[in-house]
Amino acid sequence: MRTTSLTDRLVISKLLVANRGEIALRVIRACRELGIASVAVYSDADARALHVREADEAVNIGPAPAAQSYLVGERILDAARRTGADAVHPGYGFLSEREWFARAVREAGLIWVGPPAEAIAAMGSKTAARTLAVAAGVPVVPGTTSALRDAVEAREVAETFGYPVLLKAAAGGGGKGMRVVHSADELHDALASAQREALNAFGDDAVYVEKYIDGPRHVEIQVLGDTHGTMLHLGERECSVQRRHQKMIEEAPSIAVTPELRARMGATAVAAARAAGYVNAGTCEFLLDRNGNYYFLEMNTRIQVEHPVTELVTGIDLVQWQIRIAGGERLPFVQELIVPRGWAIECRITSEDFQNGFLPSTGRITSLHIPSGPGVRWDGGIEVGSDVGLFYDPMLAKLIVYAGTRDAAIDRMHRALLELQIEGVETSREFHLRMMEDAEFRSGDITIQWLEAKLPALSAILPSANDLRAAVIAAALMAERDRNAVRAARPDVSTPDGATAWHRAARVEGLRTA
Amino acid sequence: MKYIVEVRGERHEVEVGPDGVVFNGEHITASLTDIPGSPVRQVTIGDAVHRVIARRGAHRGEYTVLLNGHRFTVEALDARARAIRDLTAATSGVAGPAPLVAPMPGMIVRVSVAPGDVVVAGQGLIVMEAMKMENELRAAGPGTVTAVRVIAGTAVQKGAILVELS
Repeated sequence: MRTTSLTDRLVISKLLVANRGEIALRVIRACRELGIASVAVYSDADARALHVREADEAVNIGPAPAAQSYLVGERILDAARRTGADAVHPGYGFLSEREWFARAVREAGLIWVGPPAEAIAAMGSKTAARTLAVAAGVPVVPGTTSALRDAVEAREVAETFGYPVLLKAAAGGGGKGMRVVHSADELHDALASAQREALNAFGDDAVYVEKYIDGPRHVEIQVLGDTHGTMLHLGERECSVQRRHQKMIEEAPSIAVTPELRARMGATAVAAARAAGYVNAGTCEFLLDRNGNYYFLEMNTRIQVEHPVTELVTGIDLVQWQIRIAGGERLPFVQELIVPRGWAIECRITSEDFQNGFLPSTGRITSLHIPSGPGVRWDGGIEVGSDVGLFYDPMLAKLIVYAGTRDAAIDRMHRALLELQIEGVETSREFHLRMMEDAEFRSGDITIQWLEAKLPALSAILPSANDLRAAVIAAALMAERDRNAVRAARPDVSTPDGATAWHRAARVEGLRTA
Repeated sequence: MKYIVEVRGERHEVEVGPDGVVFNGEHITASLTDIPGSPVRQVTIGDAVHRVIARRGAHRGEYTVLLNGHRFTVEALDARARAIRDLTAATSGVAGPAPLVAPMPGMIVRVSVAPGDVVVAGQGLIVMEAMKMENELRAAGPGTVTAVRVIAGTAVQKGAILVELS
């Protein structure tokens, strides 16, 4: 295995990071470790943001709304020209998967840290990606793409991939017009009732049929390819804990994936990536059923939010390698030697109030205590004084832990979440604590539908009698403290001479809340 | 001083003395220590140590207590203040249910009720968008809609009154 030392020359000497928040900081950190100068871009709302201060240079690219700043390709290219940057890293979100931007960067004579524009286009729409995947022999969820005429057609289609099948209203949603059919005998009646229900609910009786995926998990494969023809997979991530199709918790490896399945899914992902002419880091998303069958969903042509869990179990720095690959370096790894070691879990810490139905919370961070100790990693974009507004994504940071086994990683995450303290906005911290305490999550027996069904029970969990007692006593002690502060502030009560700053502050507090 | 501490709809009596508390008739050593430069306070109960954040609420005696990974909304008042607040709560009750206010700045996506509608607790009244997510705002209690102050497309600030109820 050949490694490249810091002193080896890279083509890239100055890199512009076309993003904000934690991922901008992540890329800037990689640049600094590689000896590459970094350029941050920022909107008016981010003038004081952490990613700006950590970069070597920074350029304002417009007003707070992303559509007038982070999404304006021309402003970003202007910033690159002005600072003499020779490469652009798009992060995730914003312009990261826009074919035209990847093309514009290339046409401006800059290096795009990501896949070629053509590969982004090939994987850009779900239908195009599906067609490409089928041609490459990659399994997709079998089914019709147009409405069924009648039960005869439904039966013919169902027999091509076998039962159980799912009948699904074209205009569907909320489970209406959906039927799971276990045998051909049930098909006629099920189709009639699904069409009736669809017509009543949506005014449209069009119904599709597809293979029913029993207990589906979201399992994705990280791929990494260089410009010299090497395409590797770095194993899987399990991202089944989702709310409203948003991932909340990610793990590597997956409890449902054996080494044999990993090798097969990995080979499939590599085949899909090759078919798209892919280079750099990318992710193939799959549904995995209870029997180990998997089906390609789509390919994400960028670095993923959840990339750190893969980094921790493989020891491969994905963001550094993105940059090195873009600089023309060869991947020194051998597929057979990339084996996940230990277990990593990531919790997305968002400014959403778990106790209030995940309502967005805004404000200024007034206090932040970041967990530390063995096996804890914090990829964040906030600090004390950061304003959490409504302009951008609610993700504040990612808390990631690493340990030898899944159980140990869950225990470690629980410990780290207890250490974490963020004041100023409400966060998803308590949600993650309840998750780490949950027996079903700990067993790993979950699907992509599990969390939505579990949430009501999760938010109704009561604290222990001991914690309740402690909270009651703590509140009484606080009330006594505040009461004494109010009394101390009254002129008719003698106060000791030379009152401390604390006394003065307490008086003000006491008066304010009286 | 003796406090009546209300949490999760239950009331507990806690007598705070110079070196501890009397809780359910049991004397327990307890103390609260500030940690300079931090919102965290160290609360010891017996030999047990708790890292606590107690945010003061809008009124005297109201605290949000964060302890051992749980959040508690607590009201701790002495007996006299408790009695006064119970009286004011009883009389202010005739003013009817509180109006629905915007919990955050955002954009109104959908208004699901009109004046005259009778709503039940938990019923969705307004859908508003913030941080790219749609959030349904629900009635805290039963009531009748007397006025709707917004329409779809209205941009609102935090605290804006959206729906009035009686």
